[in-house]
Amino acid sequence: MIEIKNLTKIYKLNKKKMMELKTKETTKKAADNITLTAKPGEIYGLLGPNGAGKTTTLRCVATLLTPTEGSVSVCGYDTVKQSEKVRENLCFLTNEIKLDPHFSPKYLFQFFGKLHGLDDATIEARRKELFEYFEITAFENKRIEELSTGMKQKASIAVSLVHNPQVVIFDEPTNGLDIVTARNVTDLLLKLRDEGKLVIISTHIMSEAEKLCDRIGVIIDGKKVTEGTLSEILAETNGADLEDAFFRLYKEHHKEEK
Amino acid sequence: MKNIFKKELMRVFSDKKMIFSLFILPAIVMIGVYSLMGTMMNKMESDIEEHVSVTYVQNVPEDFKALAAQTGYDVAAEIKYVAADASAEEVEQIKDDILNGDADLFVVFDKEFLAKAEAYQNAGDPIPGVKLAYNSTMNYSSAAKSMFEAMVLDVYETNLLQNRFGNMDLLTVFTSEDELIINEDKANGLMLASMLPYFIIMMLFAGAMGLCVDAIAGEKERGTMATMLLSPVKRSSIVFGKLFGLSVLSALSSVVYAVSMIIAMPMAMGGLGMGEISFSVLQIVELLGIMVSLVLFNVCILCLLSVFAKNSKEASAYVTPVYMVVIVLGMLTMFNVGGTAPATSSYAIPIYGSSLAIQAVASNELTLAQFGLSVAGNILCVLVMVVVITKLFNNEKVMMNA
Repeated sequence: MIEIKNLTKIYKLNKKKMMELKTKETTKKAADNITLTAKPGEIYGLLGPNGAGKTTTLRCVATLLTPTEGSVSVCGYDTVKQSEKVRENLCFLTNEIKLDPHFSPKYLFQFFGKLHGLDDATIEARRKELFEYFEITAFENKRIEELSTGMKQKASIAVSLVHNPQVVIFDEPTNGLDIVTARNVTDLLLKLRDEGKLVIISTHIMSEAEKLCDRIGVIIDGKKVTEGTLSEILAETNGADLEDAFFRLYKEHHKEEK
Repeated sequence: MKNIFKKELMRVFSDKKMIFSLFILPAIVMIGVYSLMGTMMNKMESDIEEHVSVTYVQNVPEDFKALAAQTGYDVAAEIKYVAADASAEEVEQIKDDILNGDADLFVVFDKEFLAKAEAYQNAGDPIPGVKLAYNSTMNYSSAAKSMFEAMVLDVYETNLLQNRFGNMDLLTVFTSEDELIINEDKANGLMLASMLPYFIIMMLFAGAMGLCVDAIAGEKERGTMATMLLSPVKRSSIVFGKLFGLSVLSALSSVVYAVSMIIAMPMAMGGLGMGEISFSVLQIVELLGIMVSLVLFNVCILCLLSVFAKNSKEASAYVTPVYMVVIVLGMLTMFNVGGTAPATSSYAIPIYGSSLAIQAVASNELTLAQFGLSVAGNILCVLVMVVVITKLFNNEKVMMNA
């Protein structure tokens, strides 16, 4: 289970970033007082445009960032005070986080298994299960740098799941993937949900969210503007579909920067 | 920590290209460069020896030909006689030939050279002269001048003095004799002492540079560092694992450099009188101790700089000025061989102190205090840097560019 309470994340901006963002502000509130709860056995989708604060929120959950205010707990462990315990219980996958290109999927699977404190037999059993599921066995000894994008993504997912985590976080899970690999990933997310895991995804692909997510939270300009099942959000916004609902919410809550 | 340490080693030893570029290529390059230098130097020397210099001579004394035949100069050089009344254009042509390398030496004796020399009686009497025109930028020309002085002028001088005084001993007022009081180990190590610190310090730093930049900044750039940060391992364990792994690899790399240098140096410097240099067991232990502390220091400072960088390119930009400082510190001791002994406290300055200590090892003069200070200075800095690196690994702004 994940509990986010009043999460606020403020970045300090240096001159270069101020110029990039075309702002005179010296800070940027990437996440603004976000509160949400996600439970085992569900897929929770964080929906929002680029720069809305989805990735920042997920990075705070994954212990890569420290909240400026508020708190985050994963499986009852505080992400700041018990960060190692939190990392034992979750996996976080994003396009920016990659596998070392010098090694093979097999070596990296064993390496991360050991970092998670697993014994050789457990690692081997998990490897067989995941490598067969993702059809990695055929190229398990090839170096990551020799693999195609799809193969790399499959290997990354398999390696990140080595410790059978209770919480699985995917930031833009199908971004940049071909249709076959994307389908593999979405099938996996459903499988993990059915196994009783908590899956959190961030996406801006509405059809993906509609198809996969049991509950959806919409973030705009760092604030969670609504949360609920697809039907609840459609009812709240009078939207014809999720895309329509999202645009109505966006129009209502997005403030143009001056 | 053990797993990360092993992974760092595996990263190199599982990759043939890495093994080649880190351990084999430096050896090939070093041995190749030094042997090429040696070959070129030998070739240059033998080329000069084999070259028959072209020497123009004007106003030759009557017995010049006999003397040249007696000393063998007429065989060693091609002598071309220039008429006493040669025109200015002819003389200019000879000088142009020397400038262009077509001739090597132009010797002009004063007219009536021998007569003037033999007629000398009292102070104020005319003293005959010889003018040697040569091109100091040409090896052949410089060698031709030296040979002419040795085979002709020195012999002339001796003969004329013999004629003037009858007994050459009259020119000897007293004799002097040098007695050398030296430490033979130090004497043998002097040349080595001047060069060894520079080479070791430069090699150890160069050996660690690429590895550390890639292992920290490279991993950040590729996104593989974040993968490791997401594992339930303490950041300090990641730092220790990386630092130990990199230290072992850097040490191995520097051993390759050192062995290559030992093999290659005699090829280039055989003729420079370095002679046989051997280290005692104590000297080897001292050298190893200093080198281990230096490797740790280098790895830490390189990792510290790399942690701040977002990518390898940025890290290289940070590392380059430090590399230059390291080279200068290594070179500082090069010019202090046999000079005033530095203060003992200077041995505690990282890198510079190690450079002084290596120099003292080579000349067999290192005291226990100096050894201890040089190692302690490095290790103290290593401890401080490890703490700072660990703190930086926990800093999201540095590690996640947040």
